Amino acid sequence: MTVRDQISEIIESQPVALFMKGTPSFVACGNSQRALSALRTAGAPVTAVDILPDPSFRQELSALSGWPTVPQVFVKGELVGGADIVEELAVTGELERKLTEALGEGFGDAREERVIALAAA
Amino acid sequence: MTGQKRKRNNRRSYDPAVATEPLEALLQQAFPDATELAVVDRTGGGDHFQVTVASRRFEGLSLVDQHRLVYDALAAPLSDGTIHELRIKTKGTA
Repeated sequence: MTVRDQISEIIESQPVALFMKGTPSFVACGNSQRALSALRTAGAPVTAVDILPDPSFRQELSALSGWPTVPQVFVKGELVGGADIVEELAVTGELERKLTEALGEGFGDAREERVIALAAA
Repeated sequence: MTGQKRKRNNRRSYDPAVATEPLEALLQQAFPDATELAVVDRTGGGDHFQVTVASRRFEGLSLVDQHRLVYDALAAPLSDGTIHELRIKTKGTA
């Protein structure tokens, strides 16, 4: 599967996809950390994808989303934003509302954090 | 956790305006009606910026679409690497 197909499959299939620099256990960028913390605070079931291992990951992600920076957060296939937006939405409570709307009450019950690795072409 | 440390080897004097003014000009062009427009060099390195824009154009738009307008305005410095990191705060004027 091409990198772009892998990315779009993750976006479509994961309730909450976080494309980030590093992984939740080894975050490699302050902004990725901000996004992750905001999602954790809201109790989101995060699926994290590290875009650092290959330059094509970042290129294909931005080509697909039309969003130039990383991190990028998708909820049920929809781009919610980068670190600034997710942080702002978390502070106002809008993030939890969005998650409830998209994923239903009890979206945080699983409390699971997953990591999916992309394969370079 | 040790990430890579960025070395600042030459500590020459640096005027932040050199880095922020071109970005302000681009934003001014894109948002001529802005009631608030600020670009701050967050680190003094000339590549990490905080941008704040208040404009009527943002009203009724999602935050994603608001930020997209800012990214569009700064497409050139974003793609040529002038901007390494960008923080955005957008506001309507209502």
